[in-house]
Amino acid sequence: MKISLDWLSAYIDLPDNPDDLIDVLPMLGIEVEAGEEQSSRNLDHVVVGEILSKVPHPEADRLSVCAVEVGGEKPANIVCGATNFQPGDHVPVALPGAKLPGGFKIKKSKLRGVPSEGMMCSAKELEIGTDDQGLLILPDNPKVGTPIEQLLSEDKVLELEITANRGDCLSYLGVAREISAYYQRKYNTPKVADLGIKHEECPDGHFLNSVSIESKDCSRYGAWSIQGVSIAPSPDWLKARLESVGLRPINNVVDITNFVLLETGQPLHAFDASKIKGKTIQIRQAKENESITTLDDVKRKLDPSMMVIADGETPLVVAGIMGSVDAEVNTTTTDLVLESAWFRPGSIRHTARKLGLHTDSSQRFSRDVDPQGLEYAAQRAIDLILEIAGGKCLPEYVCKGSAPRGERKIEITQAYAERICGFEIQPEQLSSAWKRLGFLVEGNDPWHVIVPSFRSEVERPIDLVEEFLRIHGTKDLQDTPVVCPSTSRENDGTYEVCQKATDNLVGQGYQEACNYSLRSGEEINSWHPSFDTNSLSLLNPLTSDHTHVRASLLPGLVDNLAHNQKNLNDLTRVFETGRIFRPGPRGNVEWISIAFASFSEPNSRQWKTQAKLDFFGIKNQFLSVLHAMGLSLPKGDWENLSKSAPWQSDYSAKIGDCHRNKLEASIGILDLQLTKKKEAKGPVFAVEILIDPILLSKRKKAVTFTRFSSFPPAIKDLALVVQGDTPAESVRSDLEQIAISVGSDQFEVDPVTIFDLFQGQGMEAGQKSVACSMRFRALDRTLSEKEVNQAFDTILQKIDQDTPYELRT
Amino acid sequence: MENDLQAIVAQAETILKTVSSRADWEQAKATILGPNGSLTQAAKGIGQLTKEERPAFGQALNQAKKKVEGFFKTSNESIEAQADLASLGEKADPSLPSVPSHLGGTHPLTNVRRRVVSIFRKIGFTVAEATEVETEWFCFDALNTPDDHPARDEQDTLFFPPNSTWANITQKAKEAHVLRTHTSSVQIRTLFKEKPPLRIIAPGRCFRRDTVDATHSANFHQTEGLYVDKNVTVKDLKAVLDYFLKELFGDKLETRLRPSFFPFTEPSFEVDLKAPNLGKLSNKWIEIMGCGMVDPEVLKLVNLDPEEWSGFAFGLGIERVAMILHGIDDIRHFYQNDQRFLSQFSNAT
Repeated sequence: MKISLDWLSAYIDLPDNPDDLIDVLPMLGIEVEAGEEQSSRNLDHVVVGEILSKVPHPEADRLSVCAVEVGGEKPANIVCGATNFQPGDHVPVALPGAKLPGGFKIKKSKLRGVPSEGMMCSAKELEIGTDDQGLLILPDNPKVGTPIEQLLSEDKVLELEITANRGDCLSYLGVAREISAYYQRKYNTPKVADLGIKHEECPDGHFLNSVSIESKDCSRYGAWSIQGVSIAPSPDWLKARLESVGLRPINNVVDITNFVLLETGQPLHAFDASKIKGKTIQIRQAKENESITTLDDVKRKLDPSMMVIADGETPLVVAGIMGSVDAEVNTTTTDLVLESAWFRPGSIRHTARKLGLHTDSSQRFSRDVDPQGLEYAAQRAIDLILEIAGGKCLPEYVCKGSAPRGERKIEITQAYAERICGFEIQPEQLSSAWKRLGFLVEGNDPWHVIVPSFRSEVERPIDLVEEFLRIHGTKDLQDTPVVCPSTSRENDGTYEVCQKATDNLVGQGYQEACNYSLRSGEEINSWHPSFDTNSLSLLNPLTSDHTHVRASLLPGLVDNLAHNQKNLNDLTRVFETGRIFRPGPRGNVEWISIAFASFSEPNSRQWKTQAKLDFFGIKNQFLSVLHAMGLSLPKGDWENLSKSAPWQSDYSAKIGDCHRNKLEASIGILDLQLTKKKEAKGPVFAVEILIDPILLSKRKKAVTFTRFSSFPPAIKDLALVVQGDTPAESVRSDLEQIAISVGSDQFEVDPVTIFDLFQGQGMEAGQKSVACSMRFRALDRTLSEKEVNQAFDTILQKIDQDTPYELRT
Repeated sequence: MENDLQAIVAQAETILKTVSSRADWEQAKATILGPNGSLTQAAKGIGQLTKEERPAFGQALNQAKKKVEGFFKTSNESIEAQADLASLGEKADPSLPSVPSHLGGTHPLTNVRRRVVSIFRKIGFTVAEATEVETEWFCFDALNTPDDHPARDEQDTLFFPPNSTWANITQKAKEAHVLRTHTSSVQIRTLFKEKPPLRIIAPGRCFRRDTVDATHSANFHQTEGLYVDKNVTVKDLKAVLDYFLKELFGDKLETRLRPSFFPFTEPSFEVDLKAPNLGKLSNKWIEIMGCGMVDPEVLKLVNLDPEEWSGFAFGLGIERVAMILHGIDDIRHFYQNDQRFLSQFSNAT
């Protein structure tokens, strides 16, 4: 909210240096955005000039030639197109060398043959107001030659940020109250004429025959009749007030309602009485398919969730937000109905949001105006209307409904305040803080504090503690030691597991990246064509590339690799940990993912060649990180991924299923077309680990020690000929099973290892040889050659009987 | 005969001087110690000696054999040593760059988050996490921000469609799912799951429906803190935050609590700090985080009696802290992942 300090000073004496407010207000809870420095506009060479004479231009009917005293050696000769001035007027004059805010440079020139030594300016041309209808006539005849800056610099405009709970501060009087509380000086509420006589039904002589509240969102509604006003432009002082905070003056009546809104925080609405059909006002919900053309000339469709002020036929106002062009007060208006009401904040907020129409009025209603301030604001406006626009007001007005809240009495003790604050408080410190805020304080520990109706949010003892702290401050709380009894809690497993993965991957030469969680539907479609993409979509995305939540960290990582490759950066290994979202059989799920991606080669030439990264390299990196995370491979076998985006068929594999095992991992090369589309050159090796957080909530069982042999092993190697598409792992594990069963209770078998793989010469087409090494050990002795050979023979026999494998000879 | 033996010893010594490979060595060994080697042959001569001569010759033979074997052993060791050396390849020029040259590193946001977590860990706060997808109730209502509350205007929230279902995110009733706008929802999830006394820190990702620019990001990171116990006061809040900020920004730091408003704390404050070592931001008050005493309504909503329990909560933006600490002027750097940016902070823990 913009606040003009000049205007504010009408209600309270400001500190000698008004800049003090920039420090004081924030400590009361009102943030001050960088004060709008009027002087940031460059108005050099623009000075006060006095028009000495005005004669018509010999060549142009619309121009006049003026002699203007600007404080120089002789008056300046200036050609001017405006007509709203007389000799003797003081106006701003831009002299040669000046540069107007719009960028226009002033030079000596000739206009239709007559030399002109400058330009007389309107408020708009100097950007100190919005009036472009003529020259800015300076009031009070300031001294000729004074830089215009000096006249303006007296007023400073502050941009205040009022928190959502302090609707009462969205007004000059509200801000004045806060300043008054801080400086402990009185503020002045403008005096108004005696309030009229209130009626529940429309009194005789009122422009309205009936007012009916048919909506639960309106608690109070008042209407006043004013007869015989003359609509005209507002006087200069009023225009200046509105312009100082960026409002455009319209006419005296509308300007007065705006002025009072800003002054008191109570929005008012003036109707042209002749345009209210049926002399009736209904406060009701809009009907289905009703519409209204609001004052900003936009036709808006209404719906029954929105409240309107209607006459007998149509809606005249979107309640509390904006009026219709049909009931507008304009130059033909002579009779007014003035509305002052209290609407339910949530309802106004809802409608303003739905219509995308936020006004000064809606802002105040939706922050809760003072339900007992209606009459004061209306009377203030009536006084000004009668003074400025003439007419007379029917002393009897109609006001329906009752205030939803009034003063409240809150009981509070010193002990409670101290329990919250944690420091000693003197009783008079408490009561004085509340009194400074205009609260009535009765009794003494417990106090009964009476909070006025305009403070909607102070309802409980805790709120009074806050008010005390706001006024008292927390400066006393310096260098307080931390008191921290121990707690027995550990970091959540979900956090720890990602930290362990991070440390491991950094150790493996991976750089952590951080990508947006919001992605485009197109990306999800192409990377995970099997997903129902819709289920991951947002209801109200802001941009077309951020319409869905991510299903995987991999696309982002490939973006990162491609970006760095394109920029010739030496970064070919990236990883990310974070949350991903997947459709599932019982609805979407949010899982933890750890993913990493790597090119097989560096982005730039190296002095020494090294082996390219391959599937088994990335597999090792995966096993390393899984190990570091304290997890074991999920049960089951590696499954070859074929036609399973985003993975490249035959060069990628998956183990586990996160829906079933709470853990799964896919490793290998990413689909070449997908990575190419992201402009990554060269295959991208990647790993994606998915974890259901529930996996990490279980406490791990302690490991039980297993004895091992201290005798040397006997080693036996053999090679088996198998079908080319048999996974080597099944050969190995079959052999291991056989060996273990043969060893039985006589000796143990170390894990069988594969030490060679062969295909080609000497082998039948479609077959391969898998060579394995077995190590036998007994716990109690060195195995004899005889028993080892015997066992080996049994193993060979079993292979022959139980497996399709053949011994390679 | 004994002269022969000495000759053989001398011969072995001579031959071995010229031996430079394992093969040469084997051959030399055969010449002397092999079945037809000179020493083996000489040993056979013992049969022609008299019984009296034999012990002396035997002794000499043994000595000779020991010597010769010694020579071969030494020779073998030196050949092996040379072979080991040869297997090392070229001598290293330590000035050449490493290959491969993957340094790896953490993201600056991780660095800041870890620092924050580690500072709070020292005073008994541990990490709690909850989901990024939330429901309206947990994100707003439970935090004393009902549907028509003004504060809800300011939260530009990203919603999921009404028909979307989430298997592992519990709802209070049938309220809509959203992307959480703050980590404050972790307070609620944790207070339902665990009982006070409780001291947690909850770092995590949040979302607002903001246009991306130098200071706004479609997603960003916050750290929530929560302390609920008996007799927790504003004084404790200030003490904890002062400790934290001094650990993070250095001892020469001033802080102040500026009154503010959050629906879920009462009283509420913004924390401002002033420090001499923050580049362009040095020596002026800058807003760093929001905090306050947990509103009694929030405690009631998680079934805690506000007469018995009290607490404080705070939240700060990780990006904001990183930007202040490192003098970073555009939030988008964090999400572009350019190596020239990341590498500046990759070991700046």
